[in-house]
Amino acid sequence: MKATSRILDFAFGWLRPGFIAWMGLVAIAAPAADIKPAVDPQADELLRRMSDYLGQEPFFSVSVEVWQDVRLGSGQQVQAGRTVDLQVRRPDRFHSEVHSTRRNRGMYYDGKSITLLDRVQNFYGSIPAPATLDEALDVACERFGITLPLEDIIVSDPYQNAMRKITSGILLGPVTVLGAPCEHLAFSLGKVDWQIWIEQGARPVPRKIVITYKDEEGSPEYTAIFSNWDFETKLSDFLFKFEAPAGSTKITVAEIKGKNEAHRNGGK
Amino acid sequence: MTMKTSKVTSVRNIGVGVLALLASLPLIYAQRSQQAGRGESVSRSEPAREPVERAPAFVDRADHGSIRHVDTNVRQRPVSVSRDFGAQRQVIVHRDVDADVNIRRAGSEFAFGARRHRLGAGYARLLVNNQPYYYDDGIYYQQEGDDYQEVYPPVGADIPQVPDGAVEIDAGNLTYYYAGGAFYAEQDGGFVVAPTPIGVIVPELPPGVVQVSFNGGVAYQFNGIYYQPIFVNGVTQYTTVLPR
Repeated sequence: MKATSRILDFAFGWLRPGFIAWMGLVAIAAPAADIKPAVDPQADELLRRMSDYLGQEPFFSVSVEVWQDVRLGSGQQVQAGRTVDLQVRRPDRFHSEVHSTRRNRGMYYDGKSITLLDRVQNFYGSIPAPATLDEALDVACERFGITLPLEDIIVSDPYQNAMRKITSGILLGPVTVLGAPCEHLAFSLGKVDWQIWIEQGARPVPRKIVITYKDEEGSPEYTAIFSNWDFETKLSDFLFKFEAPAGSTKITVAEIKGKNEAHRNGGK
Repeated sequence: MTMKTSKVTSVRNIGVGVLALLASLPLIYAQRSQQAGRGESVSRSEPAREPVERAPAFVDRADHGSIRHVDTNVRQRPVSVSRDFGAQRQVIVHRDVDADVNIRRAGSEFAFGARRHRLGAGYARLLVNNQPYYYDDGIYYQQEGDDYQEVYPPVGADIPQVPDGAVEIDAGNLTYYYAGGAFYAEQDGGFVVAPTPIGVIVPELPPGVVQVSFNGGVAYQFNGIYYQPIFVNGVTQYTTVLPR
């Protein structure tokens, strides 16, 4: 018995330090997905505050100037600009107007359908949509390839939406955006980085967002600068109800044929 | 005796630790390889290979501007922008639906039947199906008296470079370059005007189209083919159909 005990002591005595070292190395080599995202608590708090503010407002409208990198065939990178006017009434109304030099289009969501209007060509088309904004923008993107402008700020919980897949987040400190004192936050999803400038004070709204697509050649950026936030003016039903303009023609809305990765599958 | 035991234990611990480290190296290497996207292990007995320069990835997203749907419709594929289309040739490969960039498109001024008295300095003389044609900056001509008359792009015309501003069009396994209403297919180092593929989607109408009624709606006619409007990724594009 004592002999057996001595053998076991000897064996475990030799194996224990090796086992501990091995476990330590396994921990070092563990996949990144198992590691909790490194998000600065202050950055987390500021993002959550903005999200609570936007999510709890029953309606709002805002104007956005968007600048987007476009890569030409030669490899040269240029920027394309446009303005977006958004009107949101939770939980089931949305209207946007996108204007650029050669494009002019509207998008309406009334709780039952999403209608696209090409004001230049005078074409419109509708798709059936679920009863809430969150579901509607997922159907629009995943089935029809339609990304609702600035959808990350119109979802019911912008914080949960933004924190999916996040790998890091830092607070870079105070910065002024178009005269408005803001806090500058930077987050990473690994292949995509994004930054947000949140207004300081009692109205923590986003003033600027930059998304950098590091997985695309040239790492193109999408920049959105927000102005004219309005949480006071009531938004009536007719603003979200599509009325076909005179002489307009209804056309088909193409459904994406390829297999999409639904955003839900990529979540935590 | 106690000191001796302690020394032995220390030496033993260090020795076993080093052995464990060595044993764990393959595990760490495999992990790093996976993170770097290599996935496969490389046998040390294989001869050294020349590094292979891979084509850069191109991500075909429906649009930019979303974190929520950053992975929707993502498709990795080789990019063709490194192709030599000539110093000033711009082939549009970006697919962001709302990006509005005014790029010069050769052939966009085409007007069927229009006449010119003189061609540009860089014109080319072509023989297509034993018929003489002239090609100048994306537009095809035939001689009419002392003038050159604009004609539809003749199928089979062979030019060395795609017109400036041509748009890359996916058609299943085939890639076309769309410019001035013509669909160019790469052939023997040059680009040949192909018959218009039916059922493909183009981002813009050919120049000089005529609006027609079609299936209770509208379409646009160019060289015997109809271009029917359709919303793709939320913006108006056009699918090629045969008239009925």
